[in-house]
Amino acid sequence: MPNRNDEPLLRVEHLCQYFGSTKAVDDVSFDIKKGEVFGLVGESGCGKTTTGRSIIKIYNITSGNIYFEGQRIGAGTLSYRNAMEEAKKNTKAEIGALQADSAANAGHKADNDAKIAEAKKKLAACLAENKKAIAAAKYDQKHSDKEYAAKMAAKVTAEYEEKLKHVSGEEADKLRKKYKHDLNVAKHTKLITQIQMIFQDPVASLDPRMTVKEIIAEGLVIQGVKDQEYIDNKVYEMLELVGLVREHAGRYPHEFSGGQRQRIGIARAIVMNPELLIADEPVSALDVSIQAQVINLLNELRERLGLTILFIAHDLSVVKYFSNRIGVMYYGKMVELAETDELFAHPMHPYTRSLLSAIPLPDPYSERERTRIIYNALKDHDYSVEQPTLREVCPGHFVYCSDSEERKYKEEFGL
Amino acid sequence: MDNILEVKNLKVSFRTQAGTLKAVRDISFNLERGKTLAIVGESGSGKSVTAKAMLGILAGNTIIEGGEILYDGQDLLKISEDDFHHIRGDKIAMIFQDPLSSLNPIVKIGKQITEATLLKNKSNRREAKAEMKRLMNALKSSVIASGKYDAAKVNEMFATFHKFCMESNRLENEFNIAFTSTADLRADAEDTVFKLGKDQKLDVKALLREYESKLKRINKSILTRDFHKEIDALLTQLHTAEKSYQDTKEGKAAVSEVLEKLEEVMRRVENQTKPDFFSWGYYKLYCQNADMNQEVETLNAVSGKYLKENFMDQFVEMAQSGVAYSYNTARKNKEAVLPKLAEARKFFAVDFDKAAAKKLCGELSDAVDASIDHLEYLKDSAAYTFRSAMTNAINRYFYFLTNNPKEEARFERQSKKREAMIARGKNVTWKVVPKVVYAPEELRGNILAIIDRLDQRYQEALAQDVDIADRTDKLIAHFKEEGSLAVHRITKTMAKEMAVKLMEEVGIHEPRLRYNQYPFEFSGGMRQRIVIAIALAANPDILICDEPTTALDVTIQAQILELINKLKKERNLSIVFITHDLGVVANMADNIAVMYAGKIVEYGTAEDIFYDPRHPYTWALLSSMPDLDTKEKLDAIPGTPPNMIYPPQGDAFAARNKYAMQIDFEECPPFFKISDTHQAATWLLHPDAPKVEVPKTITERIARMNAKRTGGASHA
Repeated sequence: MPNRNDEPLLRVEHLCQYFGSTKAVDDVSFDIKKGEVFGLVGESGCGKTTTGRSIIKIYNITSGNIYFEGQRIGAGTLSYRNAMEEAKKNTKAEIGALQADSAANAGHKADNDAKIAEAKKKLAACLAENKKAIAAAKYDQKHSDKEYAAKMAAKVTAEYEEKLKHVSGEEADKLRKKYKHDLNVAKHTKLITQIQMIFQDPVASLDPRMTVKEIIAEGLVIQGVKDQEYIDNKVYEMLELVGLVREHAGRYPHEFSGGQRQRIGIARAIVMNPELLIADEPVSALDVSIQAQVINLLNELRERLGLTILFIAHDLSVVKYFSNRIGVMYYGKMVELAETDELFAHPMHPYTRSLLSAIPLPDPYSERERTRIIYNALKDHDYSVEQPTLREVCPGHFVYCSDSEERKYKEEFGL
Repeated sequence: MDNILEVKNLKVSFRTQAGTLKAVRDISFNLERGKTLAIVGESGSGKSVTAKAMLGILAGNTIIEGGEILYDGQDLLKISEDDFHHIRGDKIAMIFQDPLSSLNPIVKIGKQITEATLLKNKSNRREAKAEMKRLMNALKSSVIASGKYDAAKVNEMFATFHKFCMESNRLENEFNIAFTSTADLRADAEDTVFKLGKDQKLDVKALLREYESKLKRINKSILTRDFHKEIDALLTQLHTAEKSYQDTKEGKAAVSEVLEKLEEVMRRVENQTKPDFFSWGYYKLYCQNADMNQEVETLNAVSGKYLKENFMDQFVEMAQSGVAYSYNTARKNKEAVLPKLAEARKFFAVDFDKAAAKKLCGELSDAVDASIDHLEYLKDSAAYTFRSAMTNAINRYFYFLTNNPKEEARFERQSKKREAMIARGKNVTWKVVPKVVYAPEELRGNILAIIDRLDQRYQEALAQDVDIADRTDKLIAHFKEEGSLAVHRITKTMAKEMAVKLMEEVGIHEPRLRYNQYPFEFSGGMRQRIVIAIALAANPDILICDEPTTALDVTIQAQILELINKLKKERNLSIVFITHDLGVVANMADNIAVMYAGKIVEYGTAEDIFYDPRHPYTWALLSSMPDLDTKEKLDAIPGTPPNMIYPPQGDAFAARNKYAMQIDFEECPPFFKISDTHQAATWLLHPDAPKVEVPKTITERIARMNAKRTGGASHA
């Protein structure tokens, strides 16, 4: 498909994830194109991991929409509920005013009654609309996998029915057997398996009581694959793909070094043949030399399997090396989003600048002269007058800023 | 050479079921005062073990096979647990990689931070008092022994010095406390003015009341002796402002105005000329018609002159004669020790008799003890630890002489038994305990190493010229410092203020609120900051940082590193910084030791390592991390570190090294010297070795860095 690259694989719209009063992620929107590596950086507690986890549906999101391959896989209801509250409040105020008017001037009563009826009708329509939206969101949140599985199963059925028409005898039996297997897999396929995750801590993310083979094959088993030979082959293939050997399949996680454990984590993720890989700080816990091995491996897999990767990290040197586009998060907000080179050449938001100025370099002389820019959200912005939004300052480069700031940034870089 | 800590030939192994794991194999390095030494290497290279050995917290299955860690005239490997309590956390503090393991889960973090400060303060005062007394007595007796002065006169002079020195320190202490509160108050006022300007919600009345009480406290101290009138006026203004405050724009403006005035006065208070307390103390105590109410500058001049004429000149002269006497005696004794050392060297080079060895050791140690100059500011650790080190090494020699055959026999017996059981077809679940045997030559070598080191140290010391006047000045400065420590009292409130400030410094927001929370209420990064705050609260001499920022993100990492660097400068802290990330080290380190498989493979200054790396392992480390300009594939190091139960025979890195030669697999390379500060252990530096190109990634990066430095001044 010629236009495939422009079509986003994942689209996140106004994602909000609140835990009680804590706004872990607040109105974040971005999309990831097919085949690219999207880096998400920010300090600890800024919500980058939460974003990743919301996408893979570890949490039920509070508000916003997540589309994967055009289908909505996650949806929150808070924004609709808020809209309903707002409408109710407004209508009540309006009606109150009109009634007061009627009490004062009896002449206006008829006119006002008509107006009240109309407002009530409008409110009812609004409520109905939002209720429908909420129902749809809830349905999608819960049943997107089911729908996807049904779609897949239908596809398989159609395919084999067609094939079966042309064969007979022993061959047909064979085909029927395969058909049964494929149909079983298709029925158990979940859309969410197309998204896989690699976790930060390779020790904590592997079950110590399972062998490597069981760990890697677990996803397949859940999916309904019962053919032991197929599973074995698949596991060996994955192990070799991530640079381990077949003999490792029978061992337990504690028998491996940190780098090898992370490789097992990667094998477990890619065995499901995912479209999107969420890598949540995959190298932060590793030694420098092992880090390089893992990064090289991810790079290789990306080229070979055409993976799309959401790369969450705080090490900017690694993110710059690895990503095509980078989003910078600060306290639950996306403050800047641009192509990697553009971001490093023209960092606009003061927080991005402060982040870039903190990168340590292997160069003692320049290190001694480096001055870190300190970001103070209160002093650097004046949002008492104008409200900031995420806006496109120049093509492909988004910054969270107000009108005056946008002008300032543009001026600074001569745009 | 100003080494605060020296590690010599340290060898550490661990007894495990599978055999003896050789974690550290003969490493030596020095930590210079006020400098940072970075130890870089992969996990399992023995860097953390080295650090733990310095702190005496090695696990129970540790065998220290040899070596010394010299600090403050003691060998840290040999002192008792009780003695270590005075050093651990107090003199040598450590920041661990895992913050959870160093926090008490059921104690509020405020208490955990101030605990050290309060406890340390008490023992600090005690120790400083003892140290001052010891040094002064030593100096006094050597002045008297020099025979130039009358004993009674000397005693009187020293008593006077001690008395006014303490008085001055008391004044200074008071001044400093008030100074801190002034700075705090100014910062608070500034903050409030800013917030008022931004129209934020504030309890203005409460704030004003708080400032008023703080100001009152400051006003009572010596700091504001020239500002009483102005501050009194300010106090009334604050009072009226508080009483008449209205929550309107005008009301806020009025408050802002008062606070700005307060800020301005506080700034002037801070910028006043610093009083010369040392002479003030003398002037106040000993001048009959002292007028303490003069202007600061005049009083400084007057009292300084008075002190110099009436006391100091005489005292310095006296002290000089004492220092000279002590130094000369020690020098003479040192000269006498040298031939004895040579003799002992001959004696211990071959087999020797137990009684004779003990006798010789005793005599030698006595001679060495006599040759120590007790007035030396920095203790000569080799001489101080000579007796214990020798006794220990000799005992060890005789112990293993008798124990070796027993151990061999036991090992053989067990192995045979096991084999027999297996032969009989039994299921054998137990393993043979590995044998611990040392060759007598090796043990004798340890003894000789101790003698040689002292010999070398004394030769160096005798070759040096010593400036007696300079030494005396340093000694007197040291007296003053110890005196100030002895009177520096810290109250609970002050400790809290310090803790809050420290918490703010390490980047914990709303420290006053956090002060009363428990460790589990914090995230990982926050916990690490608390641990760092605790380590720094004790104000140690040496700070060991074991991967302190590995779990933190870039901004926080930068903050923490800056903080550690700042403290290093302010407190003349010496730091051992352990990490696997060379990028972090560039900013921090003065010297770098690259470790691999329990050995140091390259040692040099930061410039040496980053601009002229020589060991293939250093190359591999440097080229395996991306920097901001890296585009090509990363050169990952293939394979994993070797199993240290069976350390490889030659260069441990040979198996993963694409530049390895035949000899790398056969023989361990010695250190080749590249410059005075830089050495590396690789056969590539041998004159007969083939020429090898440094990897392109590194040469290119160095070229880029050079270009940036020479051409791109604008970049910074």
